[in-house]
Amino acid sequence: MNEQDRRKRRALMAFQIFIYGYLLLMFGIQLSMWATRNW
Amino acid sequence: MNLPLMNRRSGDGKKRVTSSVAGSGTVDDRYEEGRLAQRQADKWLIAGALLIGANGVAGTLGLPLFLWGLKLQRDASKAGLTVRPIMVTLIGYLVIVDAGLNLQGWILDMVANHSLIYRVLYTAIGNVMDGGYFWHYNQLWIGGAAAPGEKGWEFACILVVFPMRIAAAIAFLQMKRWGQQWLLVTCWFGVVIWVGYVMNMTEYADVRYAHVVFPVLGWWIFDIMYITPFLAIPYLHTVNRDIFSE
Repeated sequence: MNEQDRRKRRALMAFQIFIYGYLLLMFGIQLSMWATRNW
Repeated sequence: MNLPLMNRRSGDGKKRVTSSVAGSGTVDDRYEEGRLAQRQADKWLIAGALLIGANGVAGTLGLPLFLWGLKLQRDASKAGLTVRPIMVTLIGYLVIVDAGLNLQGWILDMVANHSLIYRVLYTAIGNVMDGGYFWHYNQLWIGGAAAPGEKGWEFACILVVFPMRIAAAIAFLQMKRWGQQWLLVTCWFGVVIWVGYVMNMTEYADVRYAHVVFPVLGWWIFDIMYITPFLAIPYLHTVNRDIFSE
C-alpha cells in the first residue's frame, strides 16, 4: 500500500468513526426518550 | 472462478509467472489445482451462507459449514495455491447474507402482507420491538407496515440497492473488477440508508416504540449486524485493484 492509499484509508476510517458517532447519538436520543416517555 | 493473475500474493508483481511465459503445463496444472480448491471451498461457503440467510435455527447450522469452507480455503492458500484472499471472501459473503436477509423480509412486507404467516410473524415482531410493524398494520391503501417513511425505504432498497448489492458481491467473489467497483458504490448506499433510516426511526420513535415489549434495545440488538457492512469501505478503496480482472 502506498502513502496515498494509507492516507485515504485513514481518512475513510475517520469518516466511519463520524458515522458511527452519529448512530450512537441517535441511539442516545432514543434512550433518553425512553427514559422520559411512558413506552 | 475467474482468477486473473498467477502468484498474486507475491507482492510487487515482478515475480509473476504466466503460463505463456512458463511455457509448460506445470503452472497450468497448479492454476487448475487452485481453481478446484476454491470451488470446493465455495461449495461449503455457499451452503453455509444460504442457511445463515434462512434465519433462525438454520442460521446456527449454517455457521459451521461456512467456517469449514473458510478453513478449506485457508489450507489451500497455505499450500501455495492461487485462491481468493480471505478478506474478499468474508466481505463478499457478508454482503450477500446481509442484503439477502433484508430483501427477503421487506419483499414479504411489500407483496405478501396479507398472507396468514406474515400477519402472524411480522406483527409479532412488531409487538416485541418495532411498532412500525404493528401500528395500523395492513390498514393503509398499500398493505404491510404503516410506519411513516417505511415503505419509501422498502421500495428504494428492494428495487435498487439490494439486487445491485447481491449482483456486485457475486462478481466481487469472482474477482471481477466491476464487482469491486459496484460493491464500493453499494457500500456507500449503505451509509446513506442507515443515516437516513435511523433518523426516520428516531423522529417517529413514539410510533415505533410505544407499548412494545422491548423498546429501543430490542431494535438495536436486532439491527446492529446490518449496520456493519460499510466497515468494508476503507478496504475496498485501498485494495490492490490488480487482483481483479476486467
